[in-house]
Amino acid sequence: MDTYLEIRRFRDSQSIWVSRNHIQLNQLHDKIIHSVITVSIKQMEDRYGPIPCPFTFFMMGSAGRFEQSLWSDQDHGIIYQQQSTEIQEYFLTLGKEISLGLHLSGYEYCDGAVMASNPLWCKSLSQWSLQLESWSLDSSWECIRQLLIFIDGRSLYGEPEFLENLKKKVYQTIHNEKLLKKALNNTLYLKKGIGVLGQILVETHGLHSGSLNIKEKALFPYVNAIRLLAIKGNILETTTLSRLERLSEYELPSIKRELYKKQFLKLLNFRLTLSKPDNYENSHYLPMTSLTKEQKKEIKEILKNGTDLYRYVRNLIEKEEN
Amino acid sequence: MDTLFLMNSLWVMVGAILVILMIGGFILLETGSTRMKNAGHIAGKTILTFGISSIIFWAVGYGLIFGEGNPLIGLSDFFYSGYEVEGLALSGSVFFLFQLAFAGISLTIAFGGFAERAKLGAYLVFAVLFSVIVYPPIAHWIWGGGWLAEHGKQDFAGSTVVHLTGAMAALAATLILKPRIGKYNKDGSANNLAGHNQVFTALSVLILWVGWFGFNAGSTVSVDGAFFGFVAINTNLAAGAGVIAAMIISWMVMGKADVPMMLNGALAGLVAITASCAFVDTWAAVLIGFISGLLVFYSIRFFESKKIDDPIAALSVHGTAGVWGTLSTGLFATPELATVGQPGLFYGGGLHQLGVQALGVVSSGAFAFIVSFILLTIMKSVMNGLRVTEEEEIIGLDMSEHGSYGYPEMVKVEKTAIESKLNA
Repeated sequence: MDTYLEIRRFRDSQSIWVSRNHIQLNQLHDKIIHSVITVSIKQMEDRYGPIPCPFTFFMMGSAGRFEQSLWSDQDHGIIYQQQSTEIQEYFLTLGKEISLGLHLSGYEYCDGAVMASNPLWCKSLSQWSLQLESWSLDSSWECIRQLLIFIDGRSLYGEPEFLENLKKKVYQTIHNEKLLKKALNNTLYLKKGIGVLGQILVETHGLHSGSLNIKEKALFPYVNAIRLLAIKGNILETTTLSRLERLSEYELPSIKRELYKKQFLKLLNFRLTLSKPDNYENSHYLPMTSLTKEQKKEIKEILKNGTDLYRYVRNLIEKEEN
Repeated sequence: MDTLFLMNSLWVMVGAILVILMIGGFILLETGSTRMKNAGHIAGKTILTFGISSIIFWAVGYGLIFGEGNPLIGLSDFFYSGYEVEGLALSGSVFFLFQLAFAGISLTIAFGGFAERAKLGAYLVFAVLFSVIVYPPIAHWIWGGGWLAEHGKQDFAGSTVVHLTGAMAALAATLILKPRIGKYNKDGSANNLAGHNQVFTALSVLILWVGWFGFNAGSTVSVDGAFFGFVAINTNLAAGAGVIAAMIISWMVMGKADVPMMLNGALAGLVAITASCAFVDTWAAVLIGFISGLLVFYSIRFFESKKIDDPIAALSVHGTAGVWGTLSTGLFATPELATVGQPGLFYGGGLHQLGVQALGVVSSGAFAFIVSFILLTIMKSVMNGLRVTEEEEIIGLDMSEHGSYGYPEMVKVEKTAIESKLNA
């Protein structure tokens, strides 16, 4: 594939085949993103000459966690080896090119500008190191949020060890500075999915009336809780499922790990099979009226377990940091 | 002059002032619950229509309600000039002013059903028609010695006369006007056209809550035995129970303690206790208020699901709670307090009083709805529609009806954005 248009056509022809399988779908996303990067690099080299130094391009957010739905937006960054104004200029331009390429291939721009076209997310190794340190030391709400975003980073092109080494450093600082509780507080807000009467709480107004917001009410508790445990256990993996696998018995007993793994995978597949994912917005909502009684019961279980997991993690961290 | 006469007059005068201040509560309620672009219009028209209502009440309203006539309507005492009224233990002009305030409140409630889409002209014409043809007959039936008064209908301060009548006119209006642009999606789901200022709405509830002491406790029209204190307690308790109930139910069902819902719960409690405040024990007042808080929650959801767009929940707060309040005295009126009519079902009065209350609700409600519907339908054809054009509705009634925005700086930004899109 030599152009973004060809990539988009490829995506449109292929996604239908894998749209109901979580792993295959995310493999396809990886392949598409990789192709976009390749085309972008070729464009850059044609226009501005060869890549000036080794680098890595990494995805964050749901792509970083290998948890994209059929449609998702783009969150990404670049780490390059050497520091100079020209090199920075080059990689920022590359970042812009990739963002455009991803956009043309069907990935919406990120509202919060977490993109390699933004100098904040496109830096040399040494600058990244300084920035991560200052985020940790500053430890304001926004800085902690950015650290948590960074921790979900997964390298898709170039030198993965650039990212790995930085992440190890971040973990170290979090432990040294005792920031885990701050990280907990950063993602503490939990949108309730089940009411006191045991009913599923759906949207009451708007186009998604009667649907469950699975992104905020079901996925977030799992993703956020497991991310915190991953930081605690120095786990570099980014997918929620592999993080769960790697947790030690102390962080989460194996019987619970198996339960949450099963529930989370079921949730990912529900999202693909039961929502009407014709665009980015819709893929976050599950229309309740189209579900069977059994499916509703399963959703309730998933919501309940998500809340339990989140409470467990909260208690674990609060106990330890005191 | 007799001291009791003077004190009665003074107390009811205070009541009248409090009730007129409730118009201020309604201004904040209605503007707070609607969008910024209509705020100036809503505030202004509320004062304007109270003016119209006052003049009409003086000219004919008072006479149609309290004049000599038949069980259906009064036919004397037009253009009241301040004379004393035979048989009244207070100043005639104070009583007149107190009643004028009630008529103004009922009309203001009716206009809830017009909000954010009716032409100013429709407000003006309906203000006159409502004040002559809709409100006075019902007030005469129940308070003016008409046929329902003869049956012993208990409506101490006007759950039926003021609130249900206003709400039924609002229902007719909202059915004829149809929902606001953007309220419903193509698939039938409803959007939340959120009000622009919850602080206004909350403040309005407090003003109305305090004003209600004039409305209910003032309706004793006498200081004899200082009974007004008891009425005020019941009023306060019902409002308190209403807000708590609405909070609990919205938290239980939706998972959130919805602020507009809590506020509507307080108002529903006030509306419901309006009929029964002088006839029931304090515990019953708590229960009546609590139930109205639950009812208003389901009522708002019901109307919304039926595609009846009720921007300030007038149908639920004044209609549903008004019906419940009127029926409640048929259940809870105690033998000692039932100075009008008979004790309620739970006090050995059997179904008699409940039946009288139901008859009052059905006949008054049906009359208010049918007459309003006919009047508005005629107005619609004569006035070439009651609703502003789509463009006017989108730029807001502040601009289309009055030529200036209530919040000029704020709305200008929004408007420029829309225009730049249009011209892009």
